[in-house]
Amino acid sequence: MNKELEHQFVTNLEKHQNIVHKICSIYTNDQDSHNDLFQEITIQLWKAYPKFRGDSKFSTWMYRVALNTAITLYRKSKRSVQTIDYEQVVFKIKAEEYDGETEQQLKLMYKALKQLNDIDKALVFLYLEDKNYKEISETLGISEVNARVRMNRVKTKLKSILNP
Amino acid sequence: MDELELLKKDWKNRDKDFPKLSYQQIYNMLLKKSSSIVKWIFIISVTEFIFWVVLDFFLSTKESAKTIETLNLETFYVIGNIVNYSVLVYFVVKFYLNFRKIKTTDSAKELMHNILKTRRIVKHYVWFNLGFFALGVTVTFAMVMNHKDTIDSMIEAHQTIKIVIIIAFFLILLGLMLGILWLFYRLLYGILTRRLKKNYKELENLEM
Repeated sequence: MNKELEHQFVTNLEKHQNIVHKICSIYTNDQDSHNDLFQEITIQLWKAYPKFRGDSKFSTWMYRVALNTAITLYRKSKRSVQTIDYEQVVFKIKAEEYDGETEQQLKLMYKALKQLNDIDKALVFLYLEDKNYKEISETLGISEVNARVRMNRVKTKLKSILNP
Repeated sequence: MDELELLKKDWKNRDKDFPKLSYQQIYNMLLKKSSSIVKWIFIISVTEFIFWVVLDFFLSTKESAKTIETLNLETFYVIGNIVNYSVLVYFVVKFYLNFRKIKTTDSAKELMHNILKTRRIVKHYVWFNLGFFALGVTVTFAMVMNHKDTIDSMIEAHQTIKIVIIIAFFLILLGLMLGILWLFYRLLYGILTRRLKKNYKELENLEM
C-alpha cells in the first residue's frame, strides 16, 4: 500500500516539479539554496502526502504545502542579512530575446520581486501562475477580499521599488 | 500595470530554464535527510575528541606528572591513555565510515539498517566514555587513599569513620559527575539520535 502511495507521489511530483522549481527561484538567490529548498519542499510534501485526500488537484495542494515550506524556511533565516547583489538576482533569469529595454525592465522586475516580503512573494507568484483571487485566497488561507487588498498594496510597492 | 503583465508573459516561458529531475532523483531526496544528521554525529565526535586531547595537553604539567609519579599511577596513566585514545579513534573512524555509507545509500532498507547501526554505535560510545571516566577517577581515588601518608595517619588517629565518610563522599561525587556527563551526552547526541529514530520511522512507512 505504502509502496504504491510512494510511487504515486514521486510520479506526481515529477510531473509538477516546475511548480517547486519556480517557488525555489523566487525564494533563493543561488543554485545551492535552490537545491536545498527543493529537497526540503519534497520532504515536506511527502510528509503531508498521506493527508492529501484528492479533494483538490495535486498541483493545488502542492502550491499550498510548497509555499508554506518556503515561507517557514524564509522566516527562520530572516535574521541573516539579506543583501542580494545584482548578478545573483538575475543569474537564473535567461530572458527571451527581448529588445534591450524590455530585458532591462524584466531584470528590474525580478529584482523588485526578490525584495518583497515572504507573503507578498507568494502572492505575486500565484498571480504570475495565473491563479484567480479565489484560488489565491484558498492557497494562502486568507479571504478573497484580503487577497485583493494585499495584491493592490504589492502592486504599489513594486511600483515604488521600480520608480524610487 | 504593464510591467507585471510583461513579467507574467516571461514567467510562462521559464519552464525550460529549470533542470528536469528524474523519478529516481526525486525518490532519493526522500532518503537523503539522514545523511546530514550522521554527518553531525561525526563532526561532533571529532570536535569532542580534539577537545579531550587539547585538555589533556594543557593539564599535563610537570606538577601533575609529579603527583602521578608519587601515587605510582604512571603505568596506569600510560596504558589508560593508550587504551582510551585508540578506542576513541576507533569510534571516530566508525562514525566516519557510517557517514560515508549513509551518504551513498540509495535504498531505504539499507539506510534503515545503517541508522540502527549508528544509533547503536553512539550508545556504545557514550557508555565507553562514562565507564572509562568512572574507572579513571576510581583508580586515582583508590591510589590516593592507599598512599601511606594519608591512610596511615588516619589509622593512627583511629579515624575509621572518617575513611568511611570520605569514601561515601567520593561515591556521591562520582555519581554526580557521571550524571552530569551523562546529561551532557544525552543533550549532545540524544537530539541527533532521536531525529534519526524519527527518520527511521518515516522510512519504515516508506518501505512497508
